[in-house]
Amino acid sequence: MNAPPVLEMKDIIKDFPGVRALNNITFTAYKGEILGLVGENGAGKSTLMKILSGVYPFGTYEGKIILDNKEVRFKNTKQAKSAGIAIIHQELNLIPQLSVAENIFLGDEPLQWGILDRFKMYNVTRTLLNRLNLDILPSETLKNLGVGKQQMVEIAKALRTKARILILDEPTSALTTREIEVLFRTLRSLKEQGVTCIYISHHLEEIFNITDRVTVIRDGATVGSAPTRELDEEKIVAMMVGREIKEMYPARSTIKGDVVLEVKDFWVAHPFRPGEKIVKDINFSLHRGEVLGVSGLMGAGRSELLAGLFGAFPSDCGGDVYLEGRKVVVKNPGQAISLGLALATEDRKLLGLILQRGVSENISLSSLKELARFYVIDKLKERRINENFVNKFKIKTATLDTPVMHLSGGNQQKIVLSRCLATQPKVLLLDEPTRGVDVGAKVEIYRIINKLLEEGLAIIMVSSSLPEVISMSDRIMVMCEGRATAILSAKETNQEEIMFYATGGGKNEGE
Amino acid sequence: MKESNEALKEYGILIALIVITIFLSIITGGDFCSPRNLTNLARQVTFIGILAVGVTMVILLGEIDLSVGSLVAVTGVVAALAQVAGWGVVLTVFVALLVGAVLGIWNGYWISKYKIHSFIITLGMMVIARGLALILAKGASVGPTTEAFRKLGGASIPPLLSALLIFACFLLWLGGIFYGRKKQKEYGFALPGRFQEIEKIIIGTLVFLFIGWIFYSYEGIPLPVVIFALITLAGIFVLDNTPFGRHLYAIGGNIEASRLAGINVDRVKFIVFVITALLSAVSGILLTSRLDGATPATLGLMYELDTIASVVIGGTSLSGGSGHISKTIIGTFLIGTLSNGMSLKGIPTIWQYVVKGLIITFAAWFDARTKKQH
Repeated sequence: MNAPPVLEMKDIIKDFPGVRALNNITFTAYKGEILGLVGENGAGKSTLMKILSGVYPFGTYEGKIILDNKEVRFKNTKQAKSAGIAIIHQELNLIPQLSVAENIFLGDEPLQWGILDRFKMYNVTRTLLNRLNLDILPSETLKNLGVGKQQMVEIAKALRTKARILILDEPTSALTTREIEVLFRTLRSLKEQGVTCIYISHHLEEIFNITDRVTVIRDGATVGSAPTRELDEEKIVAMMVGREIKEMYPARSTIKGDVVLEVKDFWVAHPFRPGEKIVKDINFSLHRGEVLGVSGLMGAGRSELLAGLFGAFPSDCGGDVYLEGRKVVVKNPGQAISLGLALATEDRKLLGLILQRGVSENISLSSLKELARFYVIDKLKERRINENFVNKFKIKTATLDTPVMHLSGGNQQKIVLSRCLATQPKVLLLDEPTRGVDVGAKVEIYRIINKLLEEGLAIIMVSSSLPEVISMSDRIMVMCEGRATAILSAKETNQEEIMFYATGGGKNEGE
Repeated sequence: MKESNEALKEYGILIALIVITIFLSIITGGDFCSPRNLTNLARQVTFIGILAVGVTMVILLGEIDLSVGSLVAVTGVVAALAQVAGWGVVLTVFVALLVGAVLGIWNGYWISKYKIHSFIITLGMMVIARGLALILAKGASVGPTTEAFRKLGGASIPPLLSALLIFACFLLWLGGIFYGRKKQKEYGFALPGRFQEIEKIIIGTLVFLFIGWIFYSYEGIPLPVVIFALITLAGIFVLDNTPFGRHLYAIGGNIEASRLAGINVDRVKFIVFVITALLSAVSGILLTSRLDGATPATLGLMYELDTIASVVIGGTSLSGGSGHISKTIIGTFLIGTLSNGMSLKGIPTIWQYVVKGLIITFAAWFDARTKKQH
């Protein structure tokens, strides 16, 4: 890399009320490389990228952005875009009801005599899609495509505006393994075409798989930058958290207790396709002090199983569920909670938290009945209990009333867990408990899980991370297309075996 | 700078109200500030104010209720008809409340059971209820009412008793502060700063003195104002101290998360629409009593707009999840003060519309601006 860098961000300082988000950070990217940008939540990755893409205009930060040896001062995102900087957010910015071509040209439609030039639109779109080796029709309505292909459309959209620097913020969080492969292939071909990609991800495997160089930032400053091949996972994690994490998955010594939950022939109807089932023939029993991991590919029905058990799924469910030996029929989440079930959902922001309300209010939302006497909330008791949660789980927040939207992913997740525990559940259902959570907070969440098990709780944990599911579970139920293809002992299995069952291997063998 | 912005956001409406009050007092040569006028002002705002308590809850949920004005009309007509038919006051009030409840149940049923947007359902109710009022009254004014009924909206608590009542409230409020401190100490929490508490007590004392002075110097507290105050205090208490209040904010903030947290969303929505309709009936009864009869075509006309304006000027977000009844009340007084002041100055009603509209626009702009800064 002797060529001059295509992009340099020099001595960037950015202050938010009360916090310095970026502290003299320097950041360099070269032409035609895939640069991994890693750091814990709140380290400043997003802020840095927002400055680069013009979300925070010139003047709201200190420092210089140098693009091709020239200083640039973006007043808005439009200027950044026309300078060749495109950002692809975690949440896609596309309109599902429009066609692929219409999405790609959104806001910049080609006109002829003041009328939409469809021919040009479709033509350019086809060229772009070909360049990405994608088999998508320009006229296809976006919502008919899978999430992976939608993301490709987003990339195509960025390329149309001649993006030279492509920022990808956690691009794989909603993708299946196969879709990730397609994405990586696309990124590699872009690299050959001279496009620089800045790849932000929590998944270190991906970082090692795709990037040429890695820059680690911590507390708003660059900790280090090195070619990927000179690094390993431990080194990166140590750089990210500023200390070495000895045991990612803390050990526990729990004794399996008696059966608390038994599920027989459980099924959940498909929400859109009448007559079909999205979860079928599920049988398992769950003991006190045990984690039953649930593994499987996207769309295998894992989340639907949890939601169904919790009475939260909109379509019909059936089968026999026994809680502590008693048959129960769960009709809605309220009833599930009073029976002793608790669910921490996968999507905290959309399904878990009331973002504009305070920490304390979010924690006690499910347990207000216990806090109230004659329909009046005992606010002091509430405060005492919630203060306890905040201290016990080390939730980093300014006050108990700080709106939870200002907190990091890990702290938000701890609030969701606190809310679940405030209801004093017997069975805890966790859906991707560490998604979007940084390494440090992950370990803390694992510790919390272990402590809960020691207290006699039983946990069902859905997780897409194979190392996590293997290390944290006692047994693992693997699901494929709505069925349980295997229940494995976590100690005796490995990633290959789980993938074998997750892709339906077991089923084919049986037939 | 940032702190002062926060304060402006928090107290902006209150400051606006105070500024307008001072301005009106000056240009009217003190007439505005006279106990007589302020007593009348308090009486005038009750009708919208009672509605605004319910509509604040509706808007906190992220819903809307366009039917309150028409509900005022139909319940008012029912009350007037009952009076003309010679029914007693208690029965009259009961029947009017019952009609309000039934129509509220209708609203709540469609909105919660079939998940239809409240805008449409209450728009329908707005037309239905107005139509019912006209049918029941056969298109003409209904009246007069009995003397006993007229007292509901017209009578006042005698000045001396009013003053004592206000003093009792003052003592309760003061006691509440000290009880709270004691409790917090018991639980071992950090107490709020002594200076802050003293500041609060001084400001509170001044407010109580002012209110006491107004009502003692003229004719005492009008009965509708007492009812309005009770409803408002009950509303504030429910929002702050009950699971139901928390659920309102939660649902308005994130309906799916609320459902998953075990809240019975449909039931909460249903109850809120019934409460709002009941409050409309209360307002309808008081208005009919005050006007000594009901005119179906004009009773409560456009009240839904004044009500929603009060709520929004008070800073409650139309998208739900944030706001408060206490702020709505300030919004109500702001609109009431403007109408009252402009009438005092003899500004024609047609111009008052324009000014009101501008104030609403300005309030919304202010709200959007402070939010953006955040």
